[in-house]
Amino acid sequence: MDCKKAQPLFDDLSQNRLDSETAVRVRQHLTDCTDCRVLAQRAARLQRLLALKCYERPAPEYLDDFLSEFHSRLMAETQRAAWWECALGRIDSLLVVGTMRVWRYGVASAMGVAVVVGVMWMSVCQTNAPDSAADQTAAANPSLVLADSQATPSPSHSAPDALVAPVPASLQAVPGDDQPTTAGSVDLVQTTARADYTAPRYVLDTVAVTPASYEVSSFHF
Amino acid sequence: MKLKETIKLGSQRLRRPSSSAAEAVPATEREIDLQHEDDEALVRRTQKGDSSAFDVLVGRYKERLYATVYHMTSNHEDANDLVQDTFIKAYKSLRSFRGQSSFYTWVYRIAVNRTINFIKRRKNHNQYSLDDMDSSIQTDPDLVELMSHVTPRREVALTELQQKLNEALQHLSEPHRAVVAMHDIQGMTHADIARVMKCSEGTVRSRLFYARQQLQGLLSDYL
Repeated sequence: MDCKKAQPLFDDLSQNRLDSETAVRVRQHLTDCTDCRVLAQRAARLQRLLALKCYERPAPEYLDDFLSEFHSRLMAETQRAAWWECALGRIDSLLVVGTMRVWRYGVASAMGVAVVVGVMWMSVCQTNAPDSAADQTAAANPSLVLADSQATPSPSHSAPDALVAPVPASLQAVPGDDQPTTAGSVDLVQTTARADYTAPRYVLDTVAVTPASYEVSSFHF
Repeated sequence: MKLKETIKLGSQRLRRPSSSAAEAVPATEREIDLQHEDDEALVRRTQKGDSSAFDVLVGRYKERLYATVYHMTSNHEDANDLVQDTFIKAYKSLRSFRGQSSFYTWVYRIAVNRTINFIKRRKNHNQYSLDDMDSSIQTDPDLVELMSHVTPRREVALTELQQKLNEALQHLSEPHRAVVAMHDIQGMTHADIARVMKCSEGTVRSRLFYARQQLQGLLSDYL
């Protein structure tokens, strides 16, 4: 037997909990191995030292009033309990009584199913609500819907999407179109502006095609 | 029976005046009968609303629980409070107790878990309020041997030893301390400790091994 196997068994050996064969093998190891023998002796001394703590006892009358203290604390805790705790306790005790014990899981399952169905119903109602509003808008003004479907999305723009008209390909600006270009600066401007480039858009005050303003705020040079 | 009614019955029984001998005799006989019943029967009685059966269980285990909790906290007021809390919790939860383990293991588990949580909460303010040493310790052969090596001034050394032992135990982590208190001080078996702490016997052994290694370092003057 090696040290790794023997060391966890010292405790059992000192308390005679090993079978005779294992006990002989552990004792043999202790005879052969000095390190383990020292370890076992120290462990036994420590155990004897700790066992002295069982002499630490409260005064004999210390636990005499324990039961009456227990009753008064129990009473105080019950009176302090919130109304819903009492109600839950009563429901629980009702379900525990006799044949109701069988039904408590059924009631709990039914309540769980009801909660799940309720949550699903609410989520279905919420997903239907925006669609119906959009349908009503579409019925009122089909031209706005057409414009909305073709518009380029612009997160920085604050106007309603329905008022944004599509931009013709010929009018789409290249970054730096309205700036004077110099021979050496073109490449630099194009590479820096391309990263956050968004297509310029005409914002319409009405549904007419005439441009009302030209938004250049999205260009950064 | 509802909890409040049960408690009222329990306190009425306790407050019953002893002047009426005719009333007192049946109560005493009944208590004696209950004392002979095993834990399982007492638990069943309590579950049916007989709070006096629970009183018998409290009387049966209060000292053992107190000892374990005391050795973990090294403070007898805390130990008393925690054992009271343990029995209150046990009484309230007894309806859900299905007898898969013994009542003793179950209530012990509540006590140990509550004590571990309590120690974690008050981690940085340890206050010792130690119980007195039983005078019979003076004749313990282990103590006599120890003191003959350490110092001839036994009384002074005994108080010092008590203080050192408690300080050393406070250095252990909560689960290690619990294992040492149950095994080395109270003499519980590995299997019982494993049931109380809901872990394997191997875990108990390894916790004991590491706890002892730490304690050997802390108490090297006495070994």
